[in-house]
Amino acid sequence: MRYRTQTVAYAYFVVALLLYGLQMVFGILSIAKYLGPDPIKAFLPFDVTKEIHTNLLIVWVLTGFMGAAYWLVPEETRSELHSPRLANWQLGLWTTAGVTAVVGYLFRWTEGNKLLEQPMPVKLGIVVVMLMFLYNIGMTIWKVKRFTTTLGVLLAGLTLTALLYLPALLTFDNYTVSIYYRWWTVHLWVEGVWEMVQGALLAYLLIRLSGADREVMEKWLYVIVGLTFIAGILGTAHHYFWIGVPSYWQAIGGVFSALEPLAFLGMAIYAYMAIRRSGLAHPNRLALHWTIGSAVFSALGAGILGLAHTWPSVNKWTHGTMITAMHGHMAFFGAYVMIVLAMITYAAPGLFGHDQEAGESPTGIWAFWLQMGGMFGMTMAFAAAGIGQTYLERIMGLGYLETQHKIQVHFLMVLGTGLLFSLGVGLFLYDFFFLAPRRRGSPAAWPAVATESQG
Amino acid sequence: MNKRQTRAFFLGSTGLFSLVFLALTIDSHRQFATLTHADQITPEVVAGKHVWHRKNCINCHTLLGEGAYYAPDLTKIAEQRGAPYLRSFLADPAKFYNEERDRRLMPNLKLSAREIDEVIAFLTWVGKIDNHGWPPRPIMVSGAAIPGSNVGGAVPQAASDDPVAIGQALFSQSPPGCFACHSTAAGVNLVGPSLAGIAATAAARIGATDYHGKATDAASYIHESILDPNADLVPGPTFSSNGQSMMPPGFGQSLQPAQVDALVAYLMTLK
Repeated sequence: MRYRTQTVAYAYFVVALLLYGLQMVFGILSIAKYLGPDPIKAFLPFDVTKEIHTNLLIVWVLTGFMGAAYWLVPEETRSELHSPRLANWQLGLWTTAGVTAVVGYLFRWTEGNKLLEQPMPVKLGIVVVMLMFLYNIGMTIWKVKRFTTTLGVLLAGLTLTALLYLPALLTFDNYTVSIYYRWWTVHLWVEGVWEMVQGALLAYLLIRLSGADREVMEKWLYVIVGLTFIAGILGTAHHYFWIGVPSYWQAIGGVFSALEPLAFLGMAIYAYMAIRRSGLAHPNRLALHWTIGSAVFSALGAGILGLAHTWPSVNKWTHGTMITAMHGHMAFFGAYVMIVLAMITYAAPGLFGHDQEAGESPTGIWAFWLQMGGMFGMTMAFAAAGIGQTYLERIMGLGYLETQHKIQVHFLMVLGTGLLFSLGVGLFLYDFFFLAPRRRGSPAAWPAVATESQG
Repeated sequence: MNKRQTRAFFLGSTGLFSLVFLALTIDSHRQFATLTHADQITPEVVAGKHVWHRKNCINCHTLLGEGAYYAPDLTKIAEQRGAPYLRSFLADPAKFYNEERDRRLMPNLKLSAREIDEVIAFLTWVGKIDNHGWPPRPIMVSGAAIPGSNVGGAVPQAASDDPVAIGQALFSQSPPGCFACHSTAAGVNLVGPSLAGIAATAAARIGATDYHGKATDAASYIHESILDPNADLVPGPTFSSNGQSMMPPGFGQSLQPAQVDALVAYLMTLK
C-alpha cells in the first residue's frame, strides 16, 4: 500500500464479504425448498429467499467493485483520494440502502421485477450513492490530471453502470416494453459494462502480479472491451426472442450472442500470455489463483455455457429452464465474484500492513479450491437438471410438477455441492477476518488500519 | 497494431453497434402495439400487472419464459385453464395440489376477488402476445405423465380426413388443448373428468332426473358440453365451482362447427 487513503477499501471489502456470506444462507435455503415439502413457506417462501439471494449478489459485487476502485485509483493517479470521508459516508448510505431492501423483502416490500425488485426509494438511494462515488473518483483524477488506460476503462465501466441503472426507474403499462428495457439494465450490466470493470481489474492485477508491460497490456485491454461491446450490445437480443418483439431480433441475437465468448476467451488468453511472458513469480500466490481463476472460469461459465443456449432454435426449448441457472451461476462466479476476490486477496496484505508473501495461507488456498470445486459441481448438477427438464417437460410434454419430481436427484446434488461451496466461502471469510490480519507483523497493527479507514 | 489503433477499434465499434441498437429499438417501438395487441391493455390488465409485481409472482414462476424456475410457466395458463378454474385455484391453491405428493405448493396469497380477476385479465392478455409461437409445445402444469393423456411425440396431425382422425389430432393440439385437462384413460381424472367411455356416460346422463340440458342422445350431449360447459355439471372436486364449470367457455367461437363435430366423433369412440 502506497497511499494512506487506499485504506477506505478495507471497509468496502468487509461489507462485501459479510453480504457474500449471507448470500450463501439464502442460496442454501432456496435449493432446499426445491426438495420440498417446505415447512417455513408461510413466513419465508421461495420467492423471498431467491430474491434476497440474487439481490445480495448484486449488492456485494458492486460493493466489491467500488472498494476495488478506491484501492486502485490512488495507485493509478499517484495521488490520495479526493475525500476518504465522502467514501465512508457513501458506504454507509449504500449499506443502509442494501440492508433496507433485504429486510423489506422479508416483509414483502418489493417491486417484483426480476433482479430489479428494489422499491423506488431504495432505487433513488442507489442513484445518489453512485453519484457520490463517481464524484469522488472524478475529483481525484481531475485534481492531478493523471489518467491511465486501465483507470479509464474502469471508470467508464462504473459510470455506464450508473447510467444503465436509469432504465430500471422507468415503468411501462405494456409488459413486453417493461421487459425490453429491464434488459438494458440487467444484460448491459453483466454482459457489457461489468465486463469492462472485470477487464480493467484483470489488467491491473496482471500488470502487478506478473510485471507484464503496461503498454502491451493496455493495448489489448482495448481489444477485449471492444469485442465485449461488438457482441454484447446486440447480444441483448437473446433475451428478446420470445417476449413479443419483431422477428429480426432472433437472427441478430443468434449471431451476436455467438460472438460473446470471444471477449471472455480473449481475457483467458490475455492472462495466459502475461503469465507466460513474465512468469508466476509473484509472492502473493493466493491473488494469482483468483486472478487466473477468474480469467479461465469466466471463459467457461459466461462464454461457453452462455453460448450453449443462446442459439434461437436451441433456446426455443431451453428458455426458462434450469439451463439458465447453470449458465448464470458459473458466469457470475467466474466473471465477477472471482475478480472481486482477486482484488481483495491482492489488497489484503497491504491493508493489513504486511508483505505480499503474507497473502498466501493454506486456509486461503483451501477456500479457493472448495469454491472452485463446489461451483463446478453446482454447474454440472444444474446442467443435468436442465437437460432433463428440457427433454421431459418441453419436448416430451410431461407435466412441470412430474418433471420436477423426476429430476430431484440433481437438486440434491446442487444442495451437496452448494454446501461444499459455502464451506469455501466460510473459510475465505475466516481467513480474511481472523487469520490474514495476524499473519505477519504484530496483531496490533491491524486495528490501527481499521480505525484509519473510519476517518 | 498500437494502442491508438486499438482504442479507435474500441470506440468505433462500440459507437457503431450502439447506433444500430438504438435504431432497431426505435423500429421495435413502431411494432410493439401490433405485436402485443396494445389496444387490449385495459385498466384491468394494467391493474393485473401491478398485482403480478406486488405479489412477486416472477420470483417463483416464469412468464414468457422469464422469471424463476420454482413454479410452472404461466404464458398460456389462461388459455389452458380458463378463468373459472384460475379463480377457484387462486382463492385456495391447496384445494388442487398436495404438498406431500407434489413436494411444492403455492402459498395462499390471500388475493381479493377483484385482484384475482385483474391478474387473470393480465395473464389472458399476455397469452395473446405474438411471441413467435413460444412455447413450441404446451408447457403443462401437471398431469401429462399419467397414461391416457395424449402427450408425447410430435404435434399430432390427422392421418386422414376421417372425422374421427381429425378429432383425435385436434384433441391433442393446442388450442383447443383438451388434453391439458382431460385424460382418456379410465378412472384417471385430471382437472377435468376422464373421457374414457364418455359415450356411455353421456347416454346415462341424459336419462338422469337432474339433467336439464337439451341433448337427446350421447353425441348431442358431448356437442352441448363443448359449446356450453355449464349445461350439465358433472360432480367432482375440481370440475366446477359455484355452479360454474371450470372448462373455459368460448369453444363455439374458437372452433369451426366441423371441428366440433370431429371432436364429438372422436370422443364417441372412446371406450
